[in-house]
Amino acid sequence: MKTKGTHSFSARRIGVAATIAFALVATALPSALAAGEVFGKACAVEGVSTGTSSSSLICKESPSGKLKWQRVRLGSTYATPAGVSTPPKGSIEFWHYRPEDKAVFQAIIDKYEARYPGTKITQVVSSTSDYDATARVKISGNKEAALFAASRGATFNGFATADMYLDISGQRFVRQNAIANALFAGQHNGKQVGIPYHYLFNDPVYNTEIFAKEGWKVPNNLSSFISYCKVAKAKGYVPMAWMGAVRGQAAQIFNSMLMNSTSDYATLEKNLRAINTGKEDLTTPWFKGIAENYKKLLDAGCFPENPTGMTEAAGNNLFATGKSPILPTGSFSMGAIKALNPAMTGKMQLMGLIVTDAKPNYVGIHNSTFILGVNNKATSSDQRIALSFLSYLMQGEVGAMYSNGTTQHVNVLNVSYTTNVDLLNTSVWQGYKTLLAPRFLITDAAVSNLTNDALIAIVGGKSIDATLADFSNQIKQKLSA
Amino acid sequence: MANPTVKSGGVGIGKRKKRRDSTTYYLMGAPAAILFLVFYLYPALNTLRYSATRWNGIDPIEFVGVRNFVNLLTNDDLFLKVLSNNVRFTLVVVIFQTSLALLFAIFLVKNTRTNVFLRTLYFFPTILSSVSVAMIWLFLYDPNVGVINTTFTKIGLDAFALNWLGSESSALYAIAFTQVWFHTGQMMVIYIAGLQQIPQELYEAADVDGASRWQQFKNVTWPMSIPTTGVVIAYTTIQSFRAFDLVFSMTNGGPNNSSSIFATLIYVTGFFEYKVGYAAAQTVFMIITIVLISWLQRRAINNRYAG
Repeated sequence: MKTKGTHSFSARRIGVAATIAFALVATALPSALAAGEVFGKACAVEGVSTGTSSSSLICKESPSGKLKWQRVRLGSTYATPAGVSTPPKGSIEFWHYRPEDKAVFQAIIDKYEARYPGTKITQVVSSTSDYDATARVKISGNKEAALFAASRGATFNGFATADMYLDISGQRFVRQNAIANALFAGQHNGKQVGIPYHYLFNDPVYNTEIFAKEGWKVPNNLSSFISYCKVAKAKGYVPMAWMGAVRGQAAQIFNSMLMNSTSDYATLEKNLRAINTGKEDLTTPWFKGIAENYKKLLDAGCFPENPTGMTEAAGNNLFATGKSPILPTGSFSMGAIKALNPAMTGKMQLMGLIVTDAKPNYVGIHNSTFILGVNNKATSSDQRIALSFLSYLMQGEVGAMYSNGTTQHVNVLNVSYTTNVDLLNTSVWQGYKTLLAPRFLITDAAVSNLTNDALIAIVGGKSIDATLADFSNQIKQKLSA
Repeated sequence: MANPTVKSGGVGIGKRKKRRDSTTYYLMGAPAAILFLVFYLYPALNTLRYSATRWNGIDPIEFVGVRNFVNLLTNDDLFLKVLSNNVRFTLVVVIFQTSLALLFAIFLVKNTRTNVFLRTLYFFPTILSSVSVAMIWLFLYDPNVGVINTTFTKIGLDAFALNWLGSESSALYAIAFTQVWFHTGQMMVIYIAGLQQIPQELYEAADVDGASRWQQFKNVTWPMSIPTTGVVIAYTTIQSFRAFDLVFSMTNGGPNNSSSIFATLIYVTGFFEYKVGYAAAQTVFMIITIVLISWLQRRAINNRYAG
């Protein structure tokens, strides 16, 4: 059933999105695959591409059924990326929630303003929690806030439902500059209302140096992950620096726990939407199975001591100093880790947290977020400035400037990541079968928070049945209020 | 006897002058009154209005009468939990903060150089920002690497090395302790001001009568400091309902809302769940709770003072 305001994501589209053309991160293949990429020739690994430019190739199944290098079509058309639209003179505000990116954005804005004298962009930045709490009302009442960001999930949904977005479906840079398969995360009621600028992997980051030193193989199923936890703990490591005191970070592994919990995506989506609306509660056998996987990891010692008291600073510190080989957050944490310990540069790689021993449907998680949109209530002149700056951000060299400066992959064509070894190293994930972060299908903020709190409580040692029953009751009361 | 303020012209001039003076007084009070009306009374009345509505802050307002209040009392276990949390938090903070502030004030009431230095030291936390205090104590309370647990472990008191902020049984009290640490110095200063008003002759008379220090405290210091205690308790109570910043920064109300107080609940309900009307109803209950607690405190203080 298609829920109002959301894009129904068919299994076929998931397959397309997961196996091909998230070739959005590198213009250089990993060395093991760096030879023989000729248009029409046979290739070995489906989904891997040579880059994000219009001349890039991708390994795809041909009509004859064989894997061959074909011209990649990452944008919505074969047209070359559109240039920057000229803005009128004036000033606007750019609202977002990433203080850590402020300096890089400012450098980009300075270049833009130098290119277009008389046009000014002012950043208005707050922390994620403040932004999620107050931006909706503030932006709605502020016509100068012409360009703003939203995270995928409850925040984007809230903004879209409040009719804050200008429809940008017809903009050339949407069709020609953005990775097509990432666009749906910025759609509402069939219209393109935002561009998900970030492409990230919500998969645990592991320390390649420690794994190499200890001779460990990266776990690829539940049994091997449990074995890893026992071995790592015996050697004095904290197997996984899971930050139970911070709900948002603790919830990152929820995506991985969900990804192979059903036989297919359609069932997963149906189950999550049922939880979201209260049609099902957390005591359903499917969700209890997920909770039991958490318990298995807890019993194996995968979580740190006093897991519900582990703060983000403590977790990052454990990983950055080598006391924990795995940071269960995502590629977006790599920048913060390098800031804590520059020696970690080039020593981080992603791994899938696969909690099944059966053949997995997906090996990891990705997400498209930091959805940039234009304020519906801004003046037409300010909207033109916002659209112009957005088209500027969607240029390959600007995307590269942002992404290399912040260690984030972006959903922009023709981006070169060669100056950032960590982005380059994780680019191999472009060819893997990853699932778009499913936990954001729970769009009700109260339901999402309580669901994650239930799992945190179970990791904290509470009984599964009592916890799921208690939180189910809380969710029911929240939905009826 | 003639009114010394009346010049030649009689009573009429006096009345006109009185009227002019009254007008001046009202005009002088007008700015404060306007600020009060605009920033306190109007928002308070609006909150009352919103509490009877179902509204997400953007869409048209839907009037629902007392439904929000009925739901809070009959179908919202979280609200009742938070009410209990806030009352317990207030009790702990009021008792410990008041007692410690009075104790420090008694020992530091004399204006010696050492006492002035110690007063400054104890007052120092008050001038820190609440978020800085929260960050400091977050590190102190870290269950694995924090100074508190590390010290307990080193001296062989492992049983005291708790998961302070990560356990439902201790998170609220850990934050309450931080609140006490944060504001005791401020209350101590208020007590010192009050204690310094107590006439020295009373202590001298008690000395002459052979009263011990405890007897002097019981019969002179404590009764004479009751008005100050009333002020300290009232201020501490209001502060404890406003401890949003500490709770939000340290635990965000977790784990499982065990440290959530009214302020954080209202914030989440209004700004994250977009239930502005429901949050307004929660606010009304919070105000009623504060008024009730304050009234009980005043009664106790007044009875004590009268007695």
